[in-house]
Amino acid sequence: MYALVDCNNFYASCERLFQPKLENRPVVVLSNNDGCTIARSDEAKAIGIEMGTPAFELEDTFKKYNVAVFSSNYTLYGDLSDRVMKTLAEFVPKLEVYSIDEAFLDMSELVYKDLAILGMDIKRTIQHNIGLPVCVGIATTKTLAKMANRYAKKKYKKLGVFYAANQELVNEMLLFTGVEDIWGIGRQYAALLKRNGIHTAMDVTKVPEEWMRSQMTVVGQRLWNELRGTPSIEWEYEAPAKKNICTSRSFGKLTGDKSILMEAASNYTAACAVKLRNQYSCAKAINVFINTNHHKTELPQYSRSITLEFETPSNLTGELIQYALKGLDIIYKEGYLFKKVGIMMLGLIPDDQVQTSLFDTKDRTKNKEALKTMDKLNKLLGRDAVRMASQGFERRYRLRANHLSQKYTTNIHEILKIKN
Amino acid sequence: MKRTELLELPYYTVKVKTGFPSPANDYLEERIDLNKELIKHPLSTFIVESEGDSMKDAFIPPKAKLIIDRSLKPKNGDIVLAVINGEFTVKYLKKNPFKCWLIPANKKYKEIEVTPEMEMQVWGVVTAIIVNPNDTRCML
Repeated sequence: MYALVDCNNFYASCERLFQPKLENRPVVVLSNNDGCTIARSDEAKAIGIEMGTPAFELEDTFKKYNVAVFSSNYTLYGDLSDRVMKTLAEFVPKLEVYSIDEAFLDMSELVYKDLAILGMDIKRTIQHNIGLPVCVGIATTKTLAKMANRYAKKKYKKLGVFYAANQELVNEMLLFTGVEDIWGIGRQYAALLKRNGIHTAMDVTKVPEEWMRSQMTVVGQRLWNELRGTPSIEWEYEAPAKKNICTSRSFGKLTGDKSILMEAASNYTAACAVKLRNQYSCAKAINVFINTNHHKTELPQYSRSITLEFETPSNLTGELIQYALKGLDIIYKEGYLFKKVGIMMLGLIPDDQVQTSLFDTKDRTKNKEALKTMDKLNKLLGRDAVRMASQGFERRYRLRANHLSQKYTTNIHEILKIKN
Repeated sequence: MKRTELLELPYYTVKVKTGFPSPANDYLEERIDLNKELIKHPLSTFIVESEGDSMKDAFIPPKAKLIIDRSLKPKNGDIVLAVINGEFTVKYLKKNPFKCWLIPANKKYKEIEVTPEMEMQVWGVVTAIIVNPNDTRCML
């Protein structure tokens, strides 16, 4: 048995926890740089605010409905997520953190308990101890647990728990769920299924296994089994090493200044390099890209990217920055105002599988030791306390975060103040 | 998301091979850890700062840091962080099976009787008060 626990409107709920007067008021959280909506409270959904809408298009709506708008405060969300996950971990022997606001719980060793009551207990505990609303879906496979969670949200909002305890209840939600809302089905597969007259999850369970396999490869076959109650998706107790690492952000202000782009590219590369080292990977190539703001149609537009391959796969900050700046130098063009620069690390491999090139002249071991020290110092002193010179000190390209709430739980100077 | 423990552990004093080992080595214990003493449920504990003087007779002068545990069930007589009509306030909680009140600890302020039309919620229970002695002069 599996449970999927998912926080309702997680970012918006986090903000509300420390500003209870926002109860019943629409709340919206914006992406990095206050770009577009990435979280909405139920009230915000009700007035028609869609996910991913650029903030500037919503200015009137915000005013008209007195919407509380927030910049994303990942420090706060991260801490509250950690509290939720650790609280969940106290209920079950095994758990897989699936994203910042959801986790799969392994309940197979708890079969003797009444799982519906356990589900309600989980919901009540997270709400009471941390103050965040969650929904719980319980079923025999991960895909069905995910579906049960969605079903709980749509059909049993008040209760917030759905336990697909028998085939009758499973069928109830299979009939309710359209193929496009099944976990793991993309838009293309959904369209394919619909073209063939398969509209609900229930319909999927009725087609022959062979058909699913021939049309949708092993993915389809696995899905078919999952929907019929046979667990076919592995547990991932530890997050797998990422295949690509990317850091890109929009500037607070458009800029044509090459030195600012260079500084940003250096910083993003440094951030990627830390991520690489943290997961013991090296990259084989780097991709650098720059864009102007395509929303500002009155300005000349330009966007380009370039991929440079390394001689030897690397995670050394200094070396990666050299490549990043070389790439930027090639694609940069004067006379444009840039909105965004990004760095992507490609072809990641475990760092113990790196073959050094024949002509490699770098002292990699020495370099590695130096960076290990740098990572340690930065952990101790704060991010980027020790850095490469090209990263600069001013962060002139700083992000826009005009609606940022406090770091209530991680910084003693920003804790909640109570007027008594 | 790993939490860094800041507590230092005592370490063994002897590394020398000659001489007499410290007789205390067998008796070393962990130093007192205030985190452990003051925070029983770290996952549900939050810290807030009190700004006014309505609770000064309960040893809560302005600027006092309050440790709040959300996991506890509020009992009659607890100091609680409450939300009343959307605003936070710290008060004594007094309740019986029919009614409940939020009581200040300063004669200047009136007690609040929680009526059905009010929206009142206990956000958490105050489990410790941390005060800098320099901030206590208002209590004289």
